[in-house]
Amino acid sequence: MTEMHGGSRQISGPYQLAPGRTRIYVWEKPVRFAHWLLVLSLVVLSVTGYYIYNPFVISRGRAAYVMGTARFIHLVAAWAFIAAILVRFYWFFRGNRWARINQFIPTRRERWQDAVETVKYYMFRRWNPTPRIGHNALAGATYTLIFGIAVIEIITGLALYNNVVHSKCLGLLVGWVPRLADIQWLREIHFLVMFALWFFFIHHMYSVLLAASEEKNGCVEGMVSGYKFVTQADLQREFGTRPGGEKSEPVRAVRQTPAAGKVSG
Amino acid sequence: MGSLDQQTLPAALKARGVSRRQFVKFCSTMVATLALPPRYLGAVVKAMESARRPVLVWLEFQDCAGNSESMLRTSNPTVTEFVLDLLSWEYHETIMAGAGKQAEAALERVVREHKGEYIAVVEGAIPTADDGVYCTIAGRTALEIARHVCSSAAASIAVGACAWDGGLVRANPNPTGAVGLQEAVPGIKVVNLGGCPHNPANTAAVLVHYLTFHEMPALDQYNRPLFAYGNIIHDQCERRAHYDAGRYVEEWGDEGHRKGWCLYKMGCKGPEATFNCPVVRWNDGTSWPVKSGHGCIACASHRFWDNKSPFYKRLPQVPGFGVDVTAEKIGWVALGAMAGAAAAQAIGSTIRKKVRPPEASEGPTKPSSSPEA
Repeated sequence: MTEMHGGSRQISGPYQLAPGRTRIYVWEKPVRFAHWLLVLSLVVLSVTGYYIYNPFVISRGRAAYVMGTARFIHLVAAWAFIAAILVRFYWFFRGNRWARINQFIPTRRERWQDAVETVKYYMFRRWNPTPRIGHNALAGATYTLIFGIAVIEIITGLALYNNVVHSKCLGLLVGWVPRLADIQWLREIHFLVMFALWFFFIHHMYSVLLAASEEKNGCVEGMVSGYKFVTQADLQREFGTRPGGEKSEPVRAVRQTPAAGKVSG
Repeated sequence: MGSLDQQTLPAALKARGVSRRQFVKFCSTMVATLALPPRYLGAVVKAMESARRPVLVWLEFQDCAGNSESMLRTSNPTVTEFVLDLLSWEYHETIMAGAGKQAEAALERVVREHKGEYIAVVEGAIPTADDGVYCTIAGRTALEIARHVCSSAAASIAVGACAWDGGLVRANPNPTGAVGLQEAVPGIKVVNLGGCPHNPANTAAVLVHYLTFHEMPALDQYNRPLFAYGNIIHDQCERRAHYDAGRYVEEWGDEGHRKGWCLYKMGCKGPEATFNCPVVRWNDGTSWPVKSGHGCIACASHRFWDNKSPFYKRLPQVPGFGVDVTAEKIGWVALGAMAGAAAAQAIGSTIRKKVRPPEASEGPTKPSSSPEA
């Protein structure tokens, strides 16, 4: 938490900031940890999960244990996925202003307008992107959707798993699920959500690369280092220049970024 | 069919020439089927010896008599014989000698004279559409008969998929509005013995349990006995090792099929279905579908015609798409569309960058269009 400061800090090192850019700590460790754990577990879950649906390798050895191994890896990766989701959900309420839940579910009118502007940008109705220090509102809403289907994937996955292990604890959590839909439909949903996540993966890769080339704020590296390189305009929009402009922002988050006021003022 | 004299089982068996050895063998089979510890054998034998044969009526509605056949077809005096002698069967359309008014009078007599004592077995679905006119017997609808007979019974047993949840008759689009017994006559005590057909060993075990302990065995959320429907077929399957190893039949008659490999890729529903089929088996324990080289179709699962089809594919059809469109196809097409959209966007964005007027590049957004400006 001590690193929670914005950009007027001097950076030592062999590199220099581009003119007009400020280095700002955006993605905290739990955010980055959850992000990359999700990526890793999703890749593993997809490969093993697709194999479980359609065992494309037919083994012939006498001691082969291909499906057994695939299922074991799938289960381990599933728990990692659940852990990553839980960490990220916890950070909705403990994280900095860019990690918080209000960045995801667009409850404020400005966020909706912001999302509309971004849609306009994607539809070529606007010349410029809509850079934000954290997520733009459209990205936030998309991630809300993704977290939603990740929860669906977890619930259907646990219900399918409990069909095998008959655990009392899991039964308390997901015992109601097979009463709503037959196990075959749970499998179908579980399978189609995998495609939805791949769908998102393509979209996410494209959007990140587009944003990186348009906004040049280091949004790809930012998910590794935690820092982004933002413009004065970005800071102004985020923290406001008019007196009292900060009042609409979460107080705690503003307090944790003391340098921001200095920069924007 | 027997008369209403309340003979004991040993007397009835003796009359049929069944030895005590065969009788005790039957009892131990039942103890094993019920998953009871071996020490219960004595209790079961004692109960069977002293039990006064309860009266049983077997009702058939929208059925194929497959469950009756399953009960009757056997080569040796085993489960079937015992079950036929264990109870005093007063009414069963397929096998009773009486016909017409006499037969219906026998049914009426049971309902009147043995109220709250007899066991009603129901086979076949019960139509409810158009006041149930799609199945009538002796001028009364199946619904009327089921209400009349089952509500006065000590317990009702729904045998087969149709009597449990409507089965084939209820499969989409269900023109006769067929339902299973417990939906047709709510509030009665029902044990459901799903399966297409039911396994007579399980039905016998339920009756033995009832005669020994004077109550029905532990049931699951569908009122099916847990001893028969509590475990996944996949976990009891003799081909499970091939599944774990990754050895699958890929085509009917291929090398894997000849070698008895796992039928998972042929759409076997073993991983989705619960039943004790692999253990109890059929035709005097001879075989069961997977052993004979065909995948399980989950016939003992809830509404399996709608939920578990297509029987030869892993996953159900996605509603609203054609019959040959699998979920996987939909997924890949959606991914292709996304990739195409991204490529088109990339080209568009590259052009936009090239033709973007310099004044637009000054600020990140135009003040007029910026929501927070």
